[in-house]
Amino acid sequence: MEAATDPAPREGDLYAVLGLEPRASREQVERAYRFSLELYGEGSLATYSLLEPAEAEQQRARVRQAYEVLGDEQRRRVYDEAHGFPPPDSPVLPFAPSTPAAPAVEIPAVLGGKDLRQVREARGVSLRHIAAVTKIGLRFLEYIEEDRFDFLPAPVYLRGFLQEYARLVGLDPRRAADAYMNRRVGKK
Amino acid sequence: MALSVSEALPAPLTRRQIWSVGGGKGGIGKSLLAASVGWQLARMGRQVVLVDADLGGANLHTCLGLPMPQRTLADFIQRRVSSIEEVVTDTAAPGLRLVSGAGDLLSAANIKHLQKVRVMNQVRALEVDVVLIDLGAGTSYNILDFFLLSDVSILAVVPEPTSIENGYRFIKSALYRRMRAAAPTESARRLVNAALDPRSPSGIKTPVDLLARMEEQEPESAQALRREVAAFQPRFVVNEIRDVADVAIGHQLVAACGRHLGVRATYAGFVHHDDAVWQAVRRRRLFMADAPTSRAAEEIRQLTRGLVKGESLGSGY
Repeated sequence: MEAATDPAPREGDLYAVLGLEPRASREQVERAYRFSLELYGEGSLATYSLLEPAEAEQQRARVRQAYEVLGDEQRRRVYDEAHGFPPPDSPVLPFAPSTPAAPAVEIPAVLGGKDLRQVREARGVSLRHIAAVTKIGLRFLEYIEEDRFDFLPAPVYLRGFLQEYARLVGLDPRRAADAYMNRRVGKK
Repeated sequence: MALSVSEALPAPLTRRQIWSVGGGKGGIGKSLLAASVGWQLARMGRQVVLVDADLGGANLHTCLGLPMPQRTLADFIQRRVSSIEEVVTDTAAPGLRLVSGAGDLLSAANIKHLQKVRVMNQVRALEVDVVLIDLGAGTSYNILDFFLLSDVSILAVVPEPTSIENGYRFIKSALYRRMRAAAPTESARRLVNAALDPRSPSGIKTPVDLLARMEEQEPESAQALRREVAAFQPRFVVNEIRDVADVAIGHQLVAACGRHLGVRATYAGFVHHDDAVWQAVRRRRLFMADAPTSRAAEEIRQLTRGLVKGESLGSGY
C-alpha cells in the first residue's frame, strides 16, 4: 500500500515539523514549507477548529524556524550531521531501482504527457516507483501522463510534481517542467 | 460505455470486505457517494450489497432510481424476517444489490445493542465481495460501531467549516470509542472517559494528549492503545469541490490529523460539484449511469479504483 500519512511530530525534529522524512529532496522541503504555511494560515479550514489562533501562530513560527535550517543547504548539512540523518535524496526503498543511466534527452519547448510516458518506459521506470520515492499519488502521475489538466493540482504543486517525475526518469527537471507547463497553458 | 481492461479483469478480493461511508454531517452527499462507489465496484466485477444504515433518513433506494422496496432493514430489525438475505433487493446494475433502510421505523435510528449485533453478524455473513454501508449523520454509537467494523472506512467531507468540524468530531469520537473498547484496565478506561468529556479537568484535548498521559500512568496500556490508533485509518473523500484549491483541503486534513490528532488518515480522492449529478438526482437516476462521461463519474471511477488498490493521493507536497 502506498504510504501517504503525516506522522505526529517527533519532539525537536525539524523535518517532522514540515511533515517530512530526513531524506527529503530540496524541492520537497520547499513544497512542504509552503504547504505547512497554508495549513496553519489564518482561516485555514483544516486547522481553525483544531488550534486556537495563538497555537496556529506558534505552529507558523515553528514552520518558519524549520525552514530557515532545512531550506539552507549549509545549515541543513550541519543539522543532519549533528542528528545522524542521511543526506537528502538517498534511496527511500531498500530495493528501489536506481535512476537508470541514459543519454541526455533534448527537451522540446512543449512536452506532453505521452512524451513523458515514452521516456519513462524507455528507461524502465514504473509509475509505482516514482510514486513510492516521491510520495506523489499514483493517480496524479497518471493524470500527468494522460494530460488530464482538469484533474491536476494548482500550478505551484504541479510544477513540483513534474520536476520530481523528470528527475527520476533522467530528464532535466526544470526544463521538463517548463515544457509540460507550456503544453498545459496551450491546451487550456 | 465500454469497460477498460482493468475494469473487465478485476483482481480477486482476498476475502469479503466491509466498506462504510460516514461523515458526521448530513447533506454532504454520503448516500450518493456510497451508491456511486458501489455501482462502480459492481461494474468492476464485484458482487456488492449496499446497506442503507441511515435508519432515520434512508434514501439510498432513491439515489439508485428504485421505488421504496417492499422489504427493508427495518423488517429484519423487527424480526418480521429471520435473515438479512430476505431484505436484499436487486438494482438495475448487475452485481449491485441493496438493503434499504427505508420503512416505517422512526425509532430504528436508535436500535438497541443486541439488534445492532444481529445486523452486524448477518452483514458479515452476506455472500458477496463487498458490503458497502451508507451511515447516517451524527456520531451515535451505532454509526461509530459500523464505521469501526469496516475494512475500508471512508470519511466524506465537503470543503465547508461545519462539515470539517463534524469530520474531526467524528474521527475523535470513533477513535476514543475504539480505544475505550481496547483499554486493558479499568483505570485506562477511566482515562479514556475523561478524554471523552470536554468538561473534564483532565486537560486531554486530543488522542495525542491521551496517549501521552497514558504513557505516564500505564505504559503497558499506552502500548495497547497505540496499536489501536495505528490501526485506525480513515480515508477522506472531499466531495462537492468547486475549484482546484479545494483539492488541497484533503491533503491538509490528512496532515492535520497526523500532526495534531495522531491519526494516520489518507486522502482517497475528491469529487467535483457537477450539475450532471444534480440533474440525475432530479430524474431519480444515478449519475454514474445517467451521465457516465461527467467529471464526477470519472472521479468516482478513479476514487474507487484507488480504494480497491489501497492507494491514496499522497501527501500533497
